Amino acid sequence: MKKKLPLSTKLILLIFAIFYATPFVSTTIYAFATKWGKTILPQGVTLEWIKQLFGDTNFYVAIGHSFLLAIVSLIVLLVVMLPAVYVVYHMFPKVDYTMQYFSLVSYALPGVILATGLLKIYSGSQIPMFLVLVGALFITSLPLIYQGIRNSMVAIDSKSLIEASKMLGASSMTTFLKVILPNIRFGVLLSSLMIFSGFLGEFVLTNLLIGGRFQTIRIYMLRRMNENGHIASSVMVVYFIILFLVGFGMNQLSKKMKESANNTRKKRRFGRESQKIVEKNTSTAKIS
Amino acid sequence: MLANMKKKLPFIAVVFPLVCMLALFLCMPVIGMVLSSFQTDTNGAWTLSNYHEIFTNSFFYQAFYNSALIGLFSSVLGLILAIVLCNCLLKLSEKWQEKITVVTNLVANFAGVPLAFAFIILLGNSGILKLAFPHLMTFNLYSWRGLVLTYLYFQIPLGVIFIYPAMRKMKKEWIEVSDLFGASRSFYWRKVGIPLLMPTLGSTFIILFANGLGTYETAYALVGSNINLLTTRISALIAGDVYARPNVGSALAVVFFGMMVLAMILSQLLVRRVRRTSL
Repeated sequence: MKKKLPLSTKLILLIFAIFYATPFVSTTIYAFATKWGKTILPQGVTLEWIKQLFGDTNFYVAIGHSFLLAIVSLIVLLVVMLPAVYVVYHMFPKVDYTMQYFSLVSYALPGVILATGLLKIYSGSQIPMFLVLVGALFITSLPLIYQGIRNSMVAIDSKSLIEASKMLGASSMTTFLKVILPNIRFGVLLSSLMIFSGFLGEFVLTNLLIGGRFQTIRIYMLRRMNENGHIASSVMVVYFIILFLVGFGMNQLSKKMKESANNTRKKRRFGRESQKIVEKNTSTAKIS
Repeated sequence: MLANMKKKLPFIAVVFPLVCMLALFLCMPVIGMVLSSFQTDTNGAWTLSNYHEIFTNSFFYQAFYNSALIGLFSSVLGLILAIVLCNCLLKLSEKWQEKITVVTNLVANFAGVPLAFAFIILLGNSGILKLAFPHLMTFNLYSWRGLVLTYLYFQIPLGVIFIYPAMRKMKKEWIEVSDLFGASRSFYWRKVGIPLLMPTLGSTFIILFANGLGTYETAYALVGSNINLLTTRISALIAGDVYARPNVGSALAVVFFGMMVLAMILSQLLVRRVRRTSL
């Protein structure tokens, strides 16, 4: 079914496309341009900036810091939140209801305000600022991860799965580890990737809480921006590539999720999973 | 009751780390911030002078004014353009709509330092676009207009994320029916479309406005502290080397936080109305 689009619609979409593509394109060209400032097109093409960038150890340190921060924060987030959402969603509906409202906190609590409070309490204390930063990132991504995990549980109809698993004699722990976790893994991975790419580009809290002592990609970017715009552009290009890879992964994942949701295999897998648990439980029962 | 508690005890233990994190990194900082906003910066004595200063010193008044101005313009324009974009997107095929929504989500993350720098290349003092189109020479990127333009880049996708699902639910048949009865398109939007979308638009506007007020990174990378904004002012007060006056910063942050919470309550009330009137 092919519809003819009105010319005005095409024109408007084209304007939006140009508005959104231009900054990306210009940054990329700037990263490979010899000199660009007096002419409409750059005077020449060079790999000099990229070379300089990859020769700078601070760049690797910054990437390392960003990944360290993102990985540690994500692990803390998942370890705390996966069991917590499982319990809250199934056992404490009232808490679950209030947690829904919590998602707005991320908009009501800009990083600057959170940093004000955190500096007040923790600056000059024994607790290392890196941990405070991890805690701050935990708070800012709480709504996203809560909603992400919760939606995945709703999607697999976890309530009836738990019921079935209980009926078969599995403990809550076994149900969580063997039934719920394997089934929500795609959904959780998807939200995790989204949060991870956000963590990689974190700036506000890092800059205010630790500042120049802990250079992440964005802080390095800003510093280079004030020294040499071409190198700053190269950093951005590398950063875009990383983000694009994460985005590509997300896209593949959501495709996979849709496939598995459409497949009847899913139901059979549930069946097999609970079958295994029954077998396991009966075998342990025999031993004891 | 007690037996019930005992049964729930292991589950409460599972939630305990979450409670700890919330207490350590959300509740305590907010309480600490509120308390310190009532103390002087010099000797920590209890006082109301911080608040008195905020509301009388024109310097802080200006920060509120600038932030509100930029927040308002970027959110109103962002909302209108998001509606225009959604309206066009809905005319595309399903496949394209899906692709564009993925891109929209990606673009919404392109804010802050990279965005500021991209706009400096394009429209800064010797920006490329200024060379190509000389009549853009008068446009100053490092002014509130420049900030609004830059903010629009992430406000529009954010608006689309909230509005698109609601606009999708509007049935094409409704337009057809209204056409059949001889109503003009503008009449349809005035009497059917806009009223139905109103609650969604209202709550989206509030979120965009709050987002515009709270933006720090983009503004900091673009204008530093050349434009007096709430966020950059607070950060200079709490973490600056020269002007550090953390308790005044706290008071400013408390007032700011109060405004944000108020805005969010408002948007929630609107969302509840949405649930009642469907869409």
